[in-house]
Amino acid sequence: MFLTRSEYDRGVNTFSPEGRLFQVEYAIEAIKLGSTAIGIQTNEGVVLAVEKRVTSPLIEPSSIEKILEVDNHIGCAMSGLIADSRTLIDKARVEAQNHWFTFNEKMSVESVTQAVSNIALQFGDDDADPGVMSRPFGVALLFAGIDDKGPQLYHIDPSGTFIQYDAKAIGSGSEGAQQALQEVYHKSITLKEACKASLTILKQVMEEKLNSTNVEMATVTPEKMFHVCTKEELEEVIKDI
Amino acid sequence: MSILAYNGAAVIAMKGKECVAIAADRRFGIQAQTVNTDFQKIFEMGPRVYIGLPGLATDVQTVAQRLQFKLNLYELRENRRIKPKTFMSMVSNLLYERRFGPYFVEPVIAGLDPKTNEPFVASMDLIGCPMVTNDFVVSGTCSEQMYGMCESLWEPDMEPDDLFETISQALLNALDRDAVSGWGAVVYVIEKDKVTRKELKTRMD
Amino acid sequence: MDILQINQTSDYKKAGPLQAHFNPYSYNGGTVLAIAGENFSVIASDTRLSEGFSIHTRENPKTYKLTDTTVLGACGFHGDVLTLTKVLDARLKIYEQDHHKQMTTGAVAAMLSTMLYHRRFFPYYVYNIVAGLDDEGKGCVYSFDPVGSYEREAYRAGGSASAMLQPLLDNQIGFKNQQGVTRIPLSREKAVNLVKDVFISAAERDIYTGDSILINVITKDGVTDERFPLRRD
Repeated sequence: MFLTRSEYDRGVNTFSPEGRLFQVEYAIEAIKLGSTAIGIQTNEGVVLAVEKRVTSPLIEPSSIEKILEVDNHIGCAMSGLIADSRTLIDKARVEAQNHWFTFNEKMSVESVTQAVSNIALQFGDDDADPGVMSRPFGVALLFAGIDDKGPQLYHIDPSGTFIQYDAKAIGSGSEGAQQALQEVYHKSITLKEACKASLTILKQVMEEKLNSTNVEMATVTPEKMFHVCTKEELEEVIKDI
Repeated sequence: MSILAYNGAAVIAMKGKECVAIAADRRFGIQAQTVNTDFQKIFEMGPRVYIGLPGLATDVQTVAQRLQFKLNLYELRENRRIKPKTFMSMVSNLLYERRFGPYFVEPVIAGLDPKTNEPFVASMDLIGCPMVTNDFVVSGTCSEQMYGMCESLWEPDMEPDDLFETISQALLNALDRDAVSGWGAVVYVIEKDKVTRKELKTRMD
Repeated sequence: MDILQINQTSDYKKAGPLQAHFNPYSYNGGTVLAIAGENFSVIASDTRLSEGFSIHTRENPKTYKLTDTTVLGACGFHGDVLTLTKVLDARLKIYEQDHHKQMTTGAVAAMLSTMLYHRRFFPYYVYNIVAGLDDEGKGCVYSFDPVGSYEREAYRAGGSASAMLQPLLDNQIGFKNQQGVTRIPLSREKAVNLVKDVFISAAERDIYTGDSILINVITKDGVTDERFPLRRD
């Protein structure tokens, strides 16, 4: 199996005879090595939760940031090669501000996701613009935000495919987490329930014991817009688990 | 920038039923800077003859004084009060004498005929080309604005009270859309047996 | 008339090269006027297109429907008006395809401002007024200068007779210089009648305004057209 593939592994944009782009598929595989991230959309807002892998006691946990603000009304959680996400988040932020500058309105969550997906497949060009990569991105993103259509959650993978979800898990524990999400999710779930559920599921799939320093959680609500939960807010949820 | 707009001014005159009105702003400024807010631009040239002089302030005062001088000679020689129409010719003559080095004023004349009490309004360019009308005349830095107001507000045969309200509204709303005129206004309503002078409060900016 | 300005007096003095100047702008007149009501807005323009003392056509309205709830009024240099409206239509279509929705009046206004400012040093010689409905369904009017400075207002006149119309709107809609008036909200009928009145006045004095007016009323149900004749001399 490995041998048949290898011929088409060189060029990142070369299709195999079965019609596959292996490098893109490998990139999707790379996500599964990343830490778990969960997003749940509710009627009151969206919650994002990620696991932080604090692999050494000498690491400063707050320096690991896996949930970032894109604009006031949009947040993003990630899993995979975090360094690769910088370019994508940067693009998302610039696009959101550009939209606000030109139209004096908030960019929709879908449009931000679309803009990011446009650069996801811009790899491999020999004479590409500076900043464009030679290989696919090794990161998956969850965009959570609020616009005219209400709270929304989008997932985007290294192939540039983006899909809207009610609840989505990515990263190493995604298989188990997705299963758990399917069981716990219902259309009328409250934001508080969603926060609790996301941490409960993270706890189940994490190797370390979950505490307020090795997880990160953020919400996007009409009241506070994008908000990263404080240590106190996290502990408040964790104590009920 | 035109010398005519150096100090800023607005003058307007209107005919009514057996009455006329003439009104002007009171600002004296040097370009954008307001210097005085009680500057006289309307001058009495007889019991029922008035002239408004918008334009370069120094010429406003010179022309007013030279007109008074000529008028005194006229009245001594003729031993009678001047008709508004005759007065207009006098102003026109004075201005055209300076055809190639003009006074920078564009006068407005309003009055009643001393015998017939016929209302009369007229305006002139800075070299004395007269224009007599049946409705209203405007002159100054916001003449376009005043034309817009007058075309909509003016109607024939207004009574003195109506005429006062109309000319005031026409002037005030025009002034407010001009940066170099305003800062107070004065209105004269001229009837056969009385002349009413009213000072208007305006926005001071 | 002065597209080619050649210095004729010095022709025989100098044998050197002559410089001819090209003026990229001309002025085609026209007046637009917009009023925002409670749940509607009115935008009107005259239909005369002229240059100097001659009239190109008496049938050229200067309002352009951009979306179901947005109408643009544009006058000044007609060549720039044509280009600007064409680029606007293209940008509107692209937005619709990118974001799966129609642009709001506020977004159109913001975009127009950036489009005008991008030509800061070779401007579109166009006076723009955008009228429509805001996000709450209230009437809204945005007025612009040719390089993109803009502001939301209750009423605005633009173009060649703007100086004649604006003070009257101040007086009749803004109730300026009036004391003790009850500020009743402007009805649709009163707004349309006022538009006719002020345009009749403008056509009396402004040679670049006349022939007829096209009045567009924008409500949530769409945009209506009404023609009204003006003097044609």
